[in-house]
Amino acid sequence: MSVIRPMQATDMLKFNNINLDIWTETFRINFYLAYLSRWPDLCCIQESSATAEGLSTEWHGHITALSVAPEYCRMGLSRALVLHLEYVSDEMYKGFFVDLYVRCTNSAIKMYEGFGYSVYRRVRKYYGTLGTDKGGRDEEDAFDMRKPLSRDPMRRSVRLNGRDVLVSAQEVS
Amino acid sequence: MSALDRQLRPIYDALDMGSHKSAVVSCNKLIKRYPNNLLLKALKSLGLVRSQKIEEALPLLEEVLAAKTTDDATLTALMHVLRLLGRNQDIVSMFENAYKQQPQNEDLGVQTFFAYARTGNWKVAQQIATRMHKQFQEDRYLYWSVVGALLQANDLATPPEMRTLLYKLAHRQVASSPSPSYLSAERFYLHLSILQELQLYDEANKLLESEIGKSICSTSLPCNYLRRQIWRARGLYKEEAERAKDLILEKNDRNWLEFLSIIDAAFPPKESGQEPVTDAIPETRDFFNKIAETDGVKDRSGLLALIELEHRARVAGGTSDITVLKALLQKYFVLHSEKACCFEDLKPYLDLSDADRDEWTTFLDSQRSTLESATDLRCLINVHKLQRFSLPASKLTAELESGRAASYIRDYKEGLRLGLELPETELQLADDLAILAGQALVNAWYLSKEQAYLLQAVALLEFTLSKSKVAYSVRLMLIRLYRLLGAPTLALNHYRALNIKHVQNDTLSHFALSRATTFSLASTGDITYSSECLETSQVYLSNSNETSEFITRAFHGERYSQIPNFIEFEERLENSLQRDLVKMEHVRMRMIHEPIVSDLIDMEFIELKIILDRYHFDNRDFDIMPNYQPNGQPSFEVQTRLFGRNAGLGWLRVYLKMFIRAFQHASDLDDATEDKLLIGDRPKKSSDPENQLPLVERLNKRNLEEESELTEQELKLFEWALTLADWLEPYHNVARPPPTVDGQKTSNGETGSSARKDDAPPVRSTPDLVVRFFDDVQSEFEASVGRDCLPSELLHIVTIIQEAVTLLVAETVRFKSTSVVKIHKLSQLVQSLKEVRTKACVSLKETSESLVKSGENYGTADSRKAFVDACSPIIDDDLVHHDFVLNIAKNVCDSRKKTLEGVGKGGLKISSAYDKA
Repeated sequence: MSVIRPMQATDMLKFNNINLDIWTETFRINFYLAYLSRWPDLCCIQESSATAEGLSTEWHGHITALSVAPEYCRMGLSRALVLHLEYVSDEMYKGFFVDLYVRCTNSAIKMYEGFGYSVYRRVRKYYGTLGTDKGGRDEEDAFDMRKPLSRDPMRRSVRLNGRDVLVSAQEVS
Repeated sequence: MSALDRQLRPIYDALDMGSHKSAVVSCNKLIKRYPNNLLLKALKSLGLVRSQKIEEALPLLEEVLAAKTTDDATLTALMHVLRLLGRNQDIVSMFENAYKQQPQNEDLGVQTFFAYARTGNWKVAQQIATRMHKQFQEDRYLYWSVVGALLQANDLATPPEMRTLLYKLAHRQVASSPSPSYLSAERFYLHLSILQELQLYDEANKLLESEIGKSICSTSLPCNYLRRQIWRARGLYKEEAERAKDLILEKNDRNWLEFLSIIDAAFPPKESGQEPVTDAIPETRDFFNKIAETDGVKDRSGLLALIELEHRARVAGGTSDITVLKALLQKYFVLHSEKACCFEDLKPYLDLSDADRDEWTTFLDSQRSTLESATDLRCLINVHKLQRFSLPASKLTAELESGRAASYIRDYKEGLRLGLELPETELQLADDLAILAGQALVNAWYLSKEQAYLLQAVALLEFTLSKSKVAYSVRLMLIRLYRLLGAPTLALNHYRALNIKHVQNDTLSHFALSRATTFSLASTGDITYSSECLETSQVYLSNSNETSEFITRAFHGERYSQIPNFIEFEERLENSLQRDLVKMEHVRMRMIHEPIVSDLIDMEFIELKIILDRYHFDNRDFDIMPNYQPNGQPSFEVQTRLFGRNAGLGWLRVYLKMFIRAFQHASDLDDATEDKLLIGDRPKKSSDPENQLPLVERLNKRNLEEESELTEQELKLFEWALTLADWLEPYHNVARPPPTVDGQKTSNGETGSSARKDDAPPVRSTPDLVVRFFDDVQSEFEASVGRDCLPSELLHIVTIIQEAVTLLVAETVRFKSTSVVKIHKLSQLVQSLKEVRTKACVSLKETSESLVKSGENYGTADSRKAFVDACSPIIDDDLVHHDFVLNIAKNVCDSRKKTLEGVGKGGLKISSAYDKA
């Protein structure tokens, strides 16, 4: 059973089962509070009776953090969360596209492609190391992936050769 | 820009960059030229406070505050200083004063509002907002006032009748707003929550039924949540169900809440007072069937809803046929067993009778297949988890559990093949099988107390981690096991590898720090654990510095739906139980690390008293620990608690009382001096009636419920400390110097108490228990050494004796002064105390020596060999290799040796230090 509900500040006390995963960064308290105090309607959580299954927050058409507990992988949870955020971005905020960052080694890239996202550019050294000594550049670089919304029917916000477009982390933040 | 403004810029920059000293130097230079400039002085005091020079900053701060300025920049600088000092009350009076002088200054009004908000004084905050709304005619101030009224109403100290009045006031205010609330989802939310509380459902309905209301609820989850609540409160289960059906059919919504809404229409929750609607059941069943059929494997909601429906029917005592439920469970398994969550999904519905359970287990047996793919593996894991969950008590013996572990390990070995290609950053698909084996082994230990099972579990889980480096749940299990086994350094390594950050320090640090003094080598100068305590507590500072800032931001940005929860979050962290458990551990470690002198005693006395007044929130996360123990057995988390007892609120309160009492005896502090020492506001006392009693009474009050969290030895220590304190209290009362007058001590206390000299009670002989305690605990220790107990238990007994020694030192520090003894004729008492101290120190010395010896034994090849031998059932040259186990054995033995020897040597050091003293 998966319940989608708004995220609250006190959920920070309960999100360990998704945040101990190495792909998910646990941010400072003020990171979450900053999102909640600006776009509460874009922060949501999906849970079963006792445990958080997934969490996502979006920054104006940007998926900032999306993580799903291991037991709940491969079940369309991410799709539900992403769809909800796309819906709100489209309806409420009238955005042109939604984007997200992901480590080049993250196996979630395929999933995002399945949702209609494509690589727009590659951002050098966007992430810190995972400390596994493997993966090298792919581990620290991020793909900036985008999906056009209904206000961009000509798909101007995406391109085909995104994987070859390199930018440094300084240029994007 | 004036010349001064230009010169100020570098000071601000320096403060921003954290170069506080250079900011102070620049301020000093400029103050010479502008000796009366308040802003410079305020900035200087900020620089001083930030560089921890609080005493130097205070006079400057008081001087600027006394000038009662209205200058914006100066006020802001002062606000930062006062906030760092925790003096929120002074921030309030400062802005209030400024606003009074310039009532036209909107900014000052806003600041005053926030100053009151920060102290939780919503009553005044609300009045200020109302005034500002009248004066500046801005809608948002009206809503601020509404929020103020609601927060005041929600305050626990507000009486219930007042609560309704406040909501009514809020309602009138929203109604008086010139613009309708639906212009923003957040105002709309606020409006709805007032109507909900006042049960003005017709009015709420009007808002919800409007086009714009519907549109808001479709995009705003918080508003939709309220809408659902209101509909339910009105008993509109049927209507809600229709709405949910539409969403499920039209929008393909698979939010479980919608499914629950439909089920609730057939079986309304008890609190609604409505009867089950039996007619609705067949129709509901059809609906879910249709969804389940269309969705198939793709989504589990439809089928799960059918199960929930049958289960509710059974609970309600209806006619539901158990065969229907059983068939559904089987169908669910067949369709969704390849999903990892299948076990968690079905668990709530497995309260079956014996016969039905056997049938279910047999069915699961038939579902095993060969392991060809990841899907097969997930299915097999679900079979194991579900079968294990349903194991009857009769099949739970150490031997059977050990046999089960072996079969899980066999499947684990098979399953590992399927994940050979996975990158290191992925979890192995077969991890759960090793976790199941670990849990079975721990259960075998739990049932038989045979330590070999724990060693096997450790070796296996370490192996699992070597194959699946990011498996955090395996680390959590290992942390618990290593603590039990007296190998805390390994536990700490795993804890650090979890990379706990920020708020997780509150929810997860209990894994490393609960009763950490047991493992602390602070007595030998190794402050690993003390530093861990301090580091983990950083999060509370950032909470108190940062969270309130976001509450003000939420007001500015009109995000009203968030404000109550932000406040709750802030409070739960500020008054976190774990925060103070860690603090208590830190104090215990200070006692064995530092000389027990008045600096330590006075400071901790004040801090512990503040903690005793708190209302605590328990944010510790225990659910994160995986649990696959059979239904009816204690969970893995419970089984692996250190000493079998969870140190929680009860433990904390007993320890607080014990230490506060000892510190109170040892300290010369009186209330006036204490207030001077206390920087910042005194925290609000919780409204617990016990807090109204005088301190002495509270300290002497015993509470069995609290004491049930203590181990046997801790309870003995507590009773010993009580007896000791009762015995010594009259002499402390006589010998303590009289309270200071005007902050000046009348004398050094030795002659000042001459008036009470005659009152010195005759010296009573040493109470029996005060000495007997040491004999008791020491003989327990010796018995434990003989009976092959867990090393952590040995550590526990020695550290408890050690704690008794340090408490004794604190209790008797006053009678070390020869003049005090002479004046009050206490030489006989001192003689008795000396005997007690010698007894205590000898006891600590002998047990510590024995501990060192046990530690040394772990350094031998024999002890490593014994470890490896104990693990022989799980050693397999194609899986957990002999050499791998030998390596683990070496690590565990080394860690045990280090800890036992270290704690033992520390104990020796303490015993000799205080024996001579």
